[in-house]
Amino acid sequence: MTETEVVESYPTNFETWIEEFNDWQTRIGFDPSWLGDYRFDIKFDWDTAGNEIEFGDFKGMPKWDRRMQIPQQNIMDAIITMVSVQGDTEFASVEQQNHLLTTAPTEYDKKSAMRIMCEEQRHGWQMAYLLCTFFGEQGVREAAKLLERNAQEGTRILGSFNEPIDHWLDFFMFTHFIDRDGKYQLKMLSTSSFKPLAASMGPMLKEESFHLGTGANGLRRIVKQGVIPCALVQKYVNKWVSTGLDLFGTDDSASAQWAYVYGIKGRYDEREAAGAADREHLNEASRDLYFQELREEMERISKARKEGEPELYIPSDKFRREIGKYAGKNFTVEGEPFEGSDQEWREYLITILPTDEDEEKLVNDYMKKNWIQYREWKDN
Amino acid sequence: MQHVALTVFDKDLCRPFFDSLTELFHAHHHSTEQDPDGYENLLYRVYRPYTPEMLDTIDRWMGLGERTWRAETQREVLLSLYAIRYPDTLLIESLTDKARSDIRRLSAYLHFTHHTYSIWDEDTRKGLGRLGIDLPKMEEADPFVYGAYISSIELLKDVAPFTCFLEHDVPRQRLFQSALAAYGRED
Repeated sequence: MTETEVVESYPTNFETWIEEFNDWQTRIGFDPSWLGDYRFDIKFDWDTAGNEIEFGDFKGMPKWDRRMQIPQQNIMDAIITMVSVQGDTEFASVEQQNHLLTTAPTEYDKKSAMRIMCEEQRHGWQMAYLLCTFFGEQGVREAAKLLERNAQEGTRILGSFNEPIDHWLDFFMFTHFIDRDGKYQLKMLSTSSFKPLAASMGPMLKEESFHLGTGANGLRRIVKQGVIPCALVQKYVNKWVSTGLDLFGTDDSASAQWAYVYGIKGRYDEREAAGAADREHLNEASRDLYFQELREEMERISKARKEGEPELYIPSDKFRREIGKYAGKNFTVEGEPFEGSDQEWREYLITILPTDEDEEKLVNDYMKKNWIQYREWKDN
Repeated sequence: MQHVALTVFDKDLCRPFFDSLTELFHAHHHSTEQDPDGYENLLYRVYRPYTPEMLDTIDRWMGLGERTWRAETQREVLLSLYAIRYPDTLLIESLTDKARSDIRRLSAYLHFTHHTYSIWDEDTRKGLGRLGIDLPKMEEADPFVYGAYISSIELLKDVAPFTCFLEHDVPRQRLFQSALAAYGRED
């Protein structure tokens, strides 16, 4: 049960940051008039945030409302890092996507993308607000950096957020796979021992559900329409899944373990899980849940395909990983070790990842047709 | 009516409903009777310019009999679907008796052309009643009762915790209306 608090007045630090934010919008080519009457409210859901620390070594103690209550500097640093990484992804995705508005296949897709970009910016605002309001000079510096790094220059913190999103198939893949990862990260922070961070997550998660719904529905509409062959769609699935899996971080992660010990980031199913956490394999546990969810979702998407089209699937979690125990090793999409030479590996990748020719065919042939099921934008 | 519904709102009474909203939604929306694929088709197949055939498709999904409307009544309703803007319901008052005679039918047309308007359903009304939001029974469209109905669902949407929203593939009004219908039947 929840009631959202909308913050009415801002501290000076944050007011100054807003001016920088306005410059950032202009710099990346996001026209503020696109926002219409949308407001970047700061929203807190204090009810679902909880009052007592829920896990880790401080379990049972009151959650921290202010910086001064945080018992150790290293805990504060870890919180600042988490808020910064979260904020960084929010602004990065707008930098990656805003050029797509002019090529939207339907008004519905254009307005959906616009809504997503507005809400991602609001999420970035929320993170910047936390940094500026609760973490003094250090926070203000980190908030400024959220607007200095840039996805198009490849300087965003996480790899997926530096990947170009060249067309709408990539957009739907991104919102389906990467925003779904976002849901996991937000939910893991929703039980945080730092109460303003936990309380920020409820309203953000409500909004995030629309983003991944846009991705899943978009992919289903593409598959249903049947203009873009499933074999080609599969190549883009292969491209995006590994990057989504990598976003969960390293295996046996010490920083995830410390975050758990401090109570600042829990398991995805922290409140529902029956047993104790395996603290040494926290990232792996969340990644497994995400991977399972991807498989279930892909089954649903694949059901919409036309007769004769091959079934879509999620490639093995060993395929093309850059983080974790499979990083740097060659595995097939089925998860078998690849036995051939480097040259043969490159030739194999051409058969399962999008090539320049695939991109050309996608954009200049398939996307010139009615490649996605039409949907009307309703006033919702 | 709208004010009455909202001022007596009891948040604690809603807790069990929100806790099981996802299961309730699945129990109702994904049941054979509700034909979820048919619902999804309508999300895509109903678009401007609206035609009598589109209304027929909605009728069929709703399990309603054929409309016995004169051409003017049909035109009047189709025009009202263009004119109405959420959360207005007073426009309903200007419709002729025949057009207003069946709130289920009219609310379904509104839902599939706007999504923000929820389908009127007796079980959903009972579900709202279990949450302390008592609305009278209705066959004919009463703009005030229907206004209170859609406002109440909107309010629930606003106050529901994020756990209610994690995964769904229907408009949120349908998510809540379906869950309320299943909740109403439990009583």
